[in-house]
Amino acid sequence: MASADPFDSALDLLRRLNPKDTSRNVSLLCQIAPSLTEDLLESVDVPLSVKRCSKTGRDFLCCDYNRDGDSWRSPWSNEFEPALEDGEAVMSSERVRKMEVKANDAFDVYRELYFEGGISSVYLWDVDDGFAGCVLLKKSVSPGGKGKAASWDSIHVFEALDRARTAHYKLTSTVILNLGTEAEALGSMDLSGNMVRQIEQDMPVEDDGSHVANIGRMVEDMEYKMRNLLQEVYFGKARDIVGDLRSIPSIKETEKDKATHREMISKMAR
Amino acid sequence: MPSNSEALASFVESAPPGELSNVTNAIKTIAGDSSLQSLGPALERYNEEQFTTVTLPGSSQPVVVSSYNSLGDGRYFDVESQSSFAFDHNTQKASAVQSYALESKNADLIKSILKSLSTHSNEHYPSSSLGVYPIENDGAIAILLVANKYSPNNFWNGRWRSQYTFSSGQLTGSIHVDVHYYEDGNVRLLTDKPVSASLSSSASASEIVRQIASIERKYQEDLNKAFGSLSEGAFKGLRRQLPITRQKIEWEKISGYRLGQDIGGGRAR
Repeated sequence: MASADPFDSALDLLRRLNPKDTSRNVSLLCQIAPSLTEDLLESVDVPLSVKRCSKTGRDFLCCDYNRDGDSWRSPWSNEFEPALEDGEAVMSSERVRKMEVKANDAFDVYRELYFEGGISSVYLWDVDDGFAGCVLLKKSVSPGGKGKAASWDSIHVFEALDRARTAHYKLTSTVILNLGTEAEALGSMDLSGNMVRQIEQDMPVEDDGSHVANIGRMVEDMEYKMRNLLQEVYFGKARDIVGDLRSIPSIKETEKDKATHREMISKMAR
Repeated sequence: MPSNSEALASFVESAPPGELSNVTNAIKTIAGDSSLQSLGPALERYNEEQFTTVTLPGSSQPVVVSSYNSLGDGRYFDVESQSSFAFDHNTQKASAVQSYALESKNADLIKSILKSLSTHSNEHYPSSSLGVYPIENDGAIAILLVANKYSPNNFWNGRWRSQYTFSSGQLTGSIHVDVHYYEDGNVRLLTDKPVSASLSSSASASEIVRQIASIERKYQEDLNKAFGSLSEGAFKGLRRQLPITRQKIEWEKISGYRLGQDIGGGRAR
């Protein structure tokens, strides 16, 4: 076997181990192989943590893109929580911060329309030939009486490269969906995981407002597709695999029925 | 923080059905070949808890490895084939097969349960392995069933495990289902269902197996219902398929939405 790359192996491992433990497993991997720390924190998506913006009182979401050391930047105030001790952080340009404010307002509406609750945060930063950013959405439902907590985390990371009158967008989206239920008759059932999708697209741009609308449309379409995909995998595929392991009807009866059916069809075809 | 070897052991414990060698290979690349030496106990625990199956040399029927049929020193026995064997927890291979005569006052019942259970499992499991063993100084009988289906080309693997103990008329145990789907993602179904039923202490093999059959059927039906209620309940409650207007957002007019539709200020959780 060719010697594999430790980073690729770490990603492969995280793709196999229980997705519910991804946060914990990432920290364990960083402990075992400290040289992988930076790459792992940058490329592995984990459920988003929540902080409160002390200036506006509003909650915001934290990820590697709004982090500086142990502080996270609030999209509502543009200030770090807790405040940075050692001087100023690298802040985005005025143009990009303006778009960021607009995008946060727009995705706040999106969040309310689709999630009817939850938290959203958008972070943008400058790159050569354009800008990049991430759109974060999170909704958690606490267990009431019976059942387990459920949560949805979307992490959309994109790059927008300026061309003449258009922009080239590259979007990578991860949805982390954790579900579970517990009941006397059922025992406990945990259905958790994440799915990733990518898309690239060129769209017309008139002004910076077009960027917000274009990103909005891309994220909306992507989440629509991913929600359907998650529905299919979590409730269709997983259930079918259980059915492949064990059949409720007798296998012999099912085989007999199939044989009879085949016979009928072949007689009709004659 | 746990030690490195504890961390690696927790990775082994969480390995999906049929993917143990992928997990140990990744561990080797990340932590070095020497790391595997510390994994011995974790691999043994994994194989025994997951009812790992192994085909004995010169046989075609896979047999089960578990704590219930352990003879110590890495050897296990199988009732059906009347043999004992050495099992390598690292390579999952069996060797040094010897004949093994079951000595138990319940030997007849054990063999009858195996026979009835085999008829039942052929009816409902496309592929399964069974084990019935005397345990607790011959005071009880352990009944195991494991059904695996691996489809790595389609990025999924699954395992159904049932374990029961029959002792003075009481049947207790648990069913675990473990499904891994990993095409462009990582999705895992893990279930744990404790079960118990009362029979007469002189229950026959077919009565015991009939009870097991009914428990497992009921469980699968409940599990199927739970998929439906999670989809209709928790999943829908997290994110709508479309806004209440049933239309996608008009992003050019997004700033007008707030006024027009009286949307909350985003403070609400």
